[in-house]
Amino acid sequence: MKLLRNRWFGPAVLTVLLLLAPLLISTYSTMILSEILIMGLMAISFNLLLGYTGLLSFGQGAFFGLGGYCAALMLQAGYQNLFLLLLVGMLISLLAALVVGFFSVRLDEIFFAMITLGFGMLFFSVAHNWLDVTGGSDGLPVFVLPSLNLFGTELTFYDPLNMYYLVFSIVLVGVVLLWLIVHSPFGLILKAMRENKQRVSFVGGNVQLLRIVAFAISGAFTGLAGVLFCLFNSMATPEFMHWSFSAKPVIMSIIGGTGVFLGPLFGAGIFFLLEQVIILFTENWMLFLGIVLVPIVIFFPQGVFGTLRNKIFREGAK
Amino acid sequence: MSDVLRIENLGHSYGKFKVIEDISLSIGKGEMSALIGPNGAGKTTFYNAISGHFPPTKGKVFLNGEEITGLTSHKVVDKGMCRSFQITNIFSELTVLENVIAPLIIQRGKHFKIYGNIFKDKQIVDSAMQTLEQVGLSDRADQVVANLAYGDKRLVEMAIVLARKPSVVLLDEPTAGMNPEETENMIALIKKLATGSGTTFFITEHDMKVVFSLAEKIYVLHQGHLLAQGSPEQIRSNEQVQEAYLGRKVHA
Ligand SMILES: Nc1ncnc2c1ncn2[C@@H]1O[C@H](COP(=O)(O)OP(=O)(O)O)[C@@H](O)[C@H]1O
Ligand SMILES: [Mg+2]
Repeated sequence: MKLLRNRWFGPAVLTVLLLLAPLLISTYSTMILSEILIMGLMAISFNLLLGYTGLLSFGQGAFFGLGGYCAALMLQAGYQNLFLLLLVGMLISLLAALVVGFFSVRLDEIFFAMITLGFGMLFFSVAHNWLDVTGGSDGLPVFVLPSLNLFGTELTFYDPLNMYYLVFSIVLVGVVLLWLIVHSPFGLILKAMRENKQRVSFVGGNVQLLRIVAFAISGAFTGLAGVLFCLFNSMATPEFMHWSFSAKPVIMSIIGGTGVFLGPLFGAGIFFLLEQVIILFTENWMLFLGIVLVPIVIFFPQGVFGTLRNKIFREGAK
Repeated sequence: MSDVLRIENLGHSYGKFKVIEDISLSIGKGEMSALIGPNGAGKTTFYNAISGHFPPTKGKVFLNGEEITGLTSHKVVDKGMCRSFQITNIFSELTVLENVIAPLIIQRGKHFKIYGNIFKDKQIVDSAMQTLEQVGLSDRADQVVANLAYGDKRLVEMAIVLARKPSVVLLDEPTAGMNPEETENMIALIKKLATGSGTTFFITEHDMKVVFSLAEKIYVLHQGHLLAQGSPEQIRSNEQVQEAYLGRKVHA
């Protein structure tokens, strides 16, 4: 129990498990795990807004897709440098999020959700209809994946195992950066805004500007996840920007718990696990996801991970 | 021009409803003054109009000689005036220490710093602890504010307001909702904070006892107008004030 309560124990075990997992599970499962990690990064980025800043964004798919299209377009144009892809994808998403944030952060709660949903739909329409650039509903295929020269060995990512370790490394970096942000002075002010934005304003904080920055950071990391997904998928499609895609990080965060940093990552895991299990029995997995979601929300008010964690910590305090 | 806070012909209406009108006053550095008036007199509206909650519909506000009329709240705070609210306005799910550190982060311009551990910033933590010491909360620094008693939550708001060491402190009914013991402690605390600190305190109250035991100068707000101003003795003996509503209380 004592070990369980050490703040570094959980993350350390998780990292080791994720490193070893592909050696123990099937190739198919390894691919699912890659997807979980990518969506986990997206969900944690999203939760920077919901869990830490108190903003429910329903348009994260726009930035995910932007990252994805950026990568696809650059690869089609012959830019093969992996880090350049990741950086440009993040940067473009950051800029787009700055603009969307500028127009959205004045609003609160459901109105904020609606305007971000609106922007999301706008991005989706552009991706869907701008045939010449985005390939329309077919999307943009990627034929040549970038490779990485690691200590003299040329690593390619056509092999799912290599792809997994690429995803794992980038997601790890992204999550660590987000952890640092959440625990920075800026992160504390975000939490303060979640609690009471009026009070922040009445101790001298420019709430709108702070929110725009939070939105932009969230957008950038969401874009990073989008680049990874484009590589993983060998394709960018308008589906990335669809509102139903934007709903995924919302559901994952709520399942996992918005009050715990890694909650949304666990939520992503549970989400995919449920999908895999339900699909065995029925095509209509969304219906059954709904049926499973209701008891989760009722019995795990702080998300599955959040509620379990609180149990462990509270028992320790006794 | 040594006035810290000067207000000229301030007025505010909600639509056509004029709540306050033609209020002029000036407060000197380090003074402890109070704005009194019954519920609904317009005290909170007056505070809202001068603290940037909304711009006044009429008149001007000067802070340390500089016009601040219509500036938004965060800019007013940057100019050196910080306020409390009648209804406790704090960061509930944060710890007491975090509640006081947040204003300091902003004051030192570190609110856009996206790395580093603020609790290792000795200057900021010391400053926050010093403020908590002042209001008597230093032993509860690590507690989550939501778990505190009501009176302690009001103290947290005091600490938040004082954290940046503003030159003018506005307190909107600091004893609202407190039991007699908490009220007494709050009065004692405000007295202690105000004496010799150089900080200008301006409080609103509807409770006369509180005001007469605290303020050096009293402004009486009646139906949106300033009816009288002066020392507690002057206000006590002012016939207009007595007629308006102090009435029997003072005679008795
Ligand atoms: N936002 C508002 N819109 C319309 N009327 C308001 C608003 N806020 C307060 N009032 C009215 O203005 C008057 C003064 O209210 P307030 O400033 O809260 O008085 P006090 O703080 O002295 O009790 C009251 O009649 C109140 O109903
Ligand atoms: Mg009031």
